[in-house]
Amino acid sequence: MTISNYHAITLIITSLGLGISSGASAAPPPGRLLASQCAQCHGTDGRAVGDMDSLRGESAGEIYDELQEMKYSAKTNDIMHRQAKGYTDQQLWLIATYYAGLSNRGGSGSNTAAGTGDHEEDDDD
Amino acid sequence: MNSISRRHFLKLAGATTALIAASPTLKAQALPGRVVVVGGGFGGATAAKYLRHWGGGGIAVTLVEMNPNHVSCILSNLVLNNSLSLPKITFNYEALKSKYGVTVVQGQAVGVSGKQLLLGSGSSLPFDRLIVAPGIDFDFQAIGVRDPANVLHAWKAGPQTLQLRDQLRNMTAGNSFVLTIPPAPYRCPPGPYERACLVADYLKKNKPGSKIIVLDANPGIVAEKETFTKAFTQTHLGVVEYHPGVVVTAVNALAKTITYTENGLSRTLTPAANQGKVGILNVLPPQTAGRLAFNLGLVPAGQKWAPVNALTYESAVVPGIHVIGDAQSTPKPNTGSGQPKSGHIANAEAKVCADAILRAFAGEGPDPAPMTNSSCYSPITASTASWLTATFAYDASNNATMVAVPASAGEASAPTSDNYEEMFDWAANLFADTFA
Ligand SMILES: Cc1cc2nc3c(=O)[nH]c(=O)nc-3n(C[C@H](O)[C@H](O)[C@H](O)COP(=O)(O)OP(=O)(O)OC[C@H]3O[C@@H](n4cnc5c(N)ncnc54)[C@H](O)[C@@H]3O)c2cc1C
Repeated sequence: MTISNYHAITLIITSLGLGISSGASAAPPPGRLLASQCAQCHGTDGRAVGDMDSLRGESAGEIYDELQEMKYSAKTNDIMHRQAKGYTDQQLWLIATYYAGLSNRGGSGSNTAAGTGDHEEDDDD
Repeated sequence: MNSISRRHFLKLAGATTALIAASPTLKAQALPGRVVVVGGGFGGATAAKYLRHWGGGGIAVTLVEMNPNHVSCILSNLVLNNSLSLPKITFNYEALKSKYGVTVVQGQAVGVSGKQLLLGSGSSLPFDRLIVAPGIDFDFQAIGVRDPANVLHAWKAGPQTLQLRDQLRNMTAGNSFVLTIPPAPYRCPPGPYERACLVADYLKKNKPGSKIIVLDANPGIVAEKETFTKAFTQTHLGVVEYHPGVVVTAVNALAKTITYTENGLSRTLTPAANQGKVGILNVLPPQTAGRLAFNLGLVPAGQKWAPVNALTYESAVVPGIHVIGDAQSTPKPNTGSGQPKSGHIANAEAKVCADAILRAFAGEGPDPAPMTNSSCYSPITASTASWLTATFAYDASNNATMVAVPASAGEASAPTSDNYEEMFDWAANLFADTFA
């Protein structure tokens, strides 16, 4: 997230002016903690730097299919083929839908900045 | 994912920001939680960032770090052979402040009194939860060091990294580089072997007749065994002299003398021509949790690390204080391997800890099935690298701890130049996810 982005979104939220102060008192979205463990290599909220693959912009189906392919392939001389073998299918699906959700919203996973996008989509395939 | 509940959640969270932004005077009342984080390395910086990123304006986060910048140990071995300069791996806290609203205090944490963190300056910081990530300290006594201040370890990156680089540059060809490896667990299991490889590679090219003598306290190579065995016996054949199972008994760092026993025999290496021609004595002393963990009573008597709960990283000794990174130890699994002390894992632990703290503020229990992972590239020469990776899953039935998933754990089949290039992409993302 760029700084100007941050301020713009904060302004929008501020202008809503809702007087609710429940803050963090809600369950975190499912998949968020799991998905954050990809960020060491694929960037905070799936925005990678350099030549690493960004996970943003991919649909849940795309991410899930790739992860499945790596998990069930016999190949082991590749970090992601190894990593994918560490997760259950259900966990991989949670990760995939979490990233797809961020992309769909144009959000950042941040409580201070997300929730302003208007495209909610169901998980595709 | 249930998008309706998530949208609802985000709306609520956004509203808190609005309240705070609109009326700063309400801030103190509206805040559900104050977290103080000590240590701005891979563990602490990540925790501070994600608490704000996820917790939003509702969580006040203060990061206490004694230095103005953090010099990354990761990639620091590449400074020794002049492949990287120190500024390339030096990070400040500007992004944590400006992008995430973390309050950064430069100072040294010295103790706790009730729910206040005490700083060396005499001031104190109130907290609801405290996270400590002070990294490691050294046990010089265990190996009979006469002059700890003169020990050149370069195992905390910074001025010592440059000192070691310069000594290597200036070493007389034909002299030896002596590297000692402490008993596991220590910071970065493959790190010492990686250093041995890079130094060997450098010596071959720049110091004809020189060799590196590796004195390892462990019974054998601790990590990436196949990779490093091959590197020592083939790639760097004749330049690396590897001695496992060594017990160091005396060190005089300034005089560059070291005494050790191997297979029951005692031997001393010195700069003298007939005693090993020591040109550089690079001692990695046995390690413990950072001093602060001891000061806060987080390390039980006779132990070296701060035991924590693997779901929350809350201290097993002092409630309300969490420990992440190299200083902590999750319970040892009954079978299988536990988490290593690495920067990648410190970052992973920080997220599990931040998530658990946010849930606790919301009156909820922690995620019952956290995952972490470690990936790490090790340069073997100035243009090739290997890697090591594993994911760790919480296992309630295996001593309630994080355990490597066997199918996920492995090392590269061979060091390659592609791996060497990928190493910089991996590091850039880890650095960004931690500091930016
Ligand atoms: C040569 C080398 C190579 C490595 N390579 C890799 C690698 O490739 N991949 C990998 O994942 N890991 C690697 N590591 C390991 C990695 O650097 C550590 O595991 C990681 O830094 C641990 O993070 P931490 O937050 O626990 O401690 P640190 O990153 O050391 O941070 C601790 C911070 O706390 C501060 N601090 C301490 N006490 C106080 C106090 N009382 N008050 C205020 N501030 C305090 C310190 O100044 C420091 O900034 C390597 C290490 C070395 C030495």
